[in-house]
Amino acid sequence: MRALVLFLALALAGVLFTAEAQRRTEVTQRLPLLYWGGGVETAERLKQAGIEQIAAPPDKAAEWRKVGLKVVAMSQAELERREKLLTPRVAGRANVASPTQRPWIDANGWRFVRNPSGKFYYELPQGRAAIAAAEAFVYSADAVLKIDPADLEVIAKMLAFLRELPSGNLPVIADIGVVDDGSPTTGEVMNLLTRRNLLFKKVPAPSSQLRVNIRLGSKEYPEAEAADPSAFAQKIRQRLGDENRSLRVYGSEIVLCRLTGDGSRARLHLLNYGGREIDSLRVRLRGKYGLGAVKAFGIENAALEEFVVADGATEFSISKIGVYAVVDLPVAK
Amino acid sequence: MKRRTFVQLLAASPLASTIHAEDPKVAPKYKVVTPHKPAATPGMPGPYPGKVISVKSAKCLSEDGTKINGEAVREMMERGMRALTGDAKTIDSWRRFFTPEDIVGIKVNAGGRPWVVSSHEIVAETIRNLMEIGVKPGQIYIYERFQNQLDQVNYAPHIPEGVNIFAAERANVRGDNQSYDPGVYVEADFFGEDDTRSNMIRLVSQKLTKIINIPNMKDHGATGVTGCLKNIAYGSFSNVARTHFKGVSHTLSFVGELANVEPLRSRTVLQIMDGLRGVWHAGPFAPTLKYVFFPKTIQFATDPVAIDRLLLDIIDDERKRRGAISIWNRDEKSLDFNNGKRRDEDPDTNIIIREPGHVQYAGKLGLGVHDINKIEVKEIEV
Repeated sequence: MRALVLFLALALAGVLFTAEAQRRTEVTQRLPLLYWGGGVETAERLKQAGIEQIAAPPDKAAEWRKVGLKVVAMSQAELERREKLLTPRVAGRANVASPTQRPWIDANGWRFVRNPSGKFYYELPQGRAAIAAAEAFVYSADAVLKIDPADLEVIAKMLAFLRELPSGNLPVIADIGVVDDGSPTTGEVMNLLTRRNLLFKKVPAPSSQLRVNIRLGSKEYPEAEAADPSAFAQKIRQRLGDENRSLRVYGSEIVLCRLTGDGSRARLHLLNYGGREIDSLRVRLRGKYGLGAVKAFGIENAALEEFVVADGATEFSISKIGVYAVVDLPVAK
Repeated sequence: MKRRTFVQLLAASPLASTIHAEDPKVAPKYKVVTPHKPAATPGMPGPYPGKVISVKSAKCLSEDGTKINGEAVREMMERGMRALTGDAKTIDSWRRFFTPEDIVGIKVNAGGRPWVVSSHEIVAETIRNLMEIGVKPGQIYIYERFQNQLDQVNYAPHIPEGVNIFAAERANVRGDNQSYDPGVYVEADFFGEDDTRSNMIRLVSQKLTKIINIPNMKDHGATGVTGCLKNIAYGSFSNVARTHFKGVSHTLSFVGELANVEPLRSRTVLQIMDGLRGVWHAGPFAPTLKYVFFPKTIQFATDPVAIDRLLLDIIDDERKRRGAISIWNRDEKSLDFNNGKRRDEDPDTNIIIREPGHVQYAGKLGLGVHDINKIEVKEIEV
């Protein structure tokens, strides 16, 4: 009997260890990499912040390894051969968009969707490291972040937060398929879809699984119409119908989302491109979900509140979010 | 054409609007969600539809208009309330609307700071009367949407200790949603905005049993005037600035639609129009005295439409007197949208085509009497 108990305990420990190892593998693969140009004398600061791995110039790689950090050797030229991304932010542009009515968001999600195997880098001003890290993580992008040194502690915290998230590599949930011809115009359309939380995915050909399929240059979607991507995105939205959208967000227009799910559960990523915390952001998901959990970067005790399932949809408020939050929900039986 | 180029061209063209059906005469499709049922006699238009008491006093302001005479205001309010209800004693007039058990909201207007806001004296006198009939200070809430505006108006030193002062958001920057009720909202897509909901303040939907509306006599760049209707409607819901975009405004229908939502409509039982000072151009703001005028009037009603119908003429007459274009002017030549600086300098400039027809629209919803011939105005001079 004692032997049996011991066997079962070992077996359970093995299962847990394997699951944890798998989770770490999944998540670690998706973490963006910090490019650090500082000298090895800054090693203590990196370690104190909790940074274990960096990208650094090749001539400094050995020194960094000596002091105990994992290093990916990367020259400035190698860094710059990657596709440079916009600084994720809400951009105020006079005469283009009023900050109170229609915010202009610089976001990179569509670039990651267009080129999932691409190599990217950010060159970030102070204060933007955390959102960039989260953005790259949400799309599982191979991204390197060159940050302002003042942001070291916050990005270390963000990377630790991302590392600790429960595994969640689930298929993307989309309402719209975009046949990507690789043109700048189609890229801009994808950008506008991302910025309006119109969930899409890249498809090789129109798919009957999706409510709306867009192929630029088709009779339904003439190329000329896409010259105004904003109006074009609105046309797509109207064709889809707000009631049919898998995701709606209320209470802010600067939170962009990515929804994934596999029929048994869903994960919603929320990226806040503004500089302030947002409270009681309301989310509507098409479909019936059970009460799940939220984890919000930098916010203790974030909670899902006023949870309602009605009319074929699930609504809830997220008590508070800062830069990034992730919501996990089981599909209701 | 690049997106930026296109949008800039769009911005340069006066009436061009991007995407949606922008003709405000065609009301958008509204979806109203509320679990609240109307009262047997909703507060708006209440027991006195079409009746407005207009009390004027030359003594209520100092000669330069900068100081308010509290004694004169008290007398104006006593006379006005008695005339509205027909009671001999002021306290009986207040008792018609409130009981000691009520939790009373006072919807002030702090947007026209510092010169044209719900004045300390009228708010204080309102509170004094509520307390006189037994409403405790803790049951009274002065409310407005934005804390930074309330801070500037600073009611606290002028009212009894214990009266609550409540703002739904820190400032007019979106992101504070906690004070809005996710279960009471109006959904509409005006210009293709992503967030299509406007939610009622929780205080209104979940706590208050009665509301007193204390607006001001103000010009407004989008609605023509902002009086009772806009103060109670746009001041009790979130995410309303989205109705104005690139020279076009859906305030024509949205003001009335919001005011009509329960429980706001049923609980708003008294309208006290603070017309001691008014602003005839560049409203709803009044940072200087440049466009401020002095009606020296307080109006009393239960019908917000009737007061606002009178207000249309008050503001338009003042504009005419000053040689400025009418609030009804829809000439594209007058329109220079988004150019607030020019609007502030030139009374013949509109930044949005104004929609004074919102008053009539609200009348059609049953919120009050719009027909000027059916409005009974009793004028009192004190």
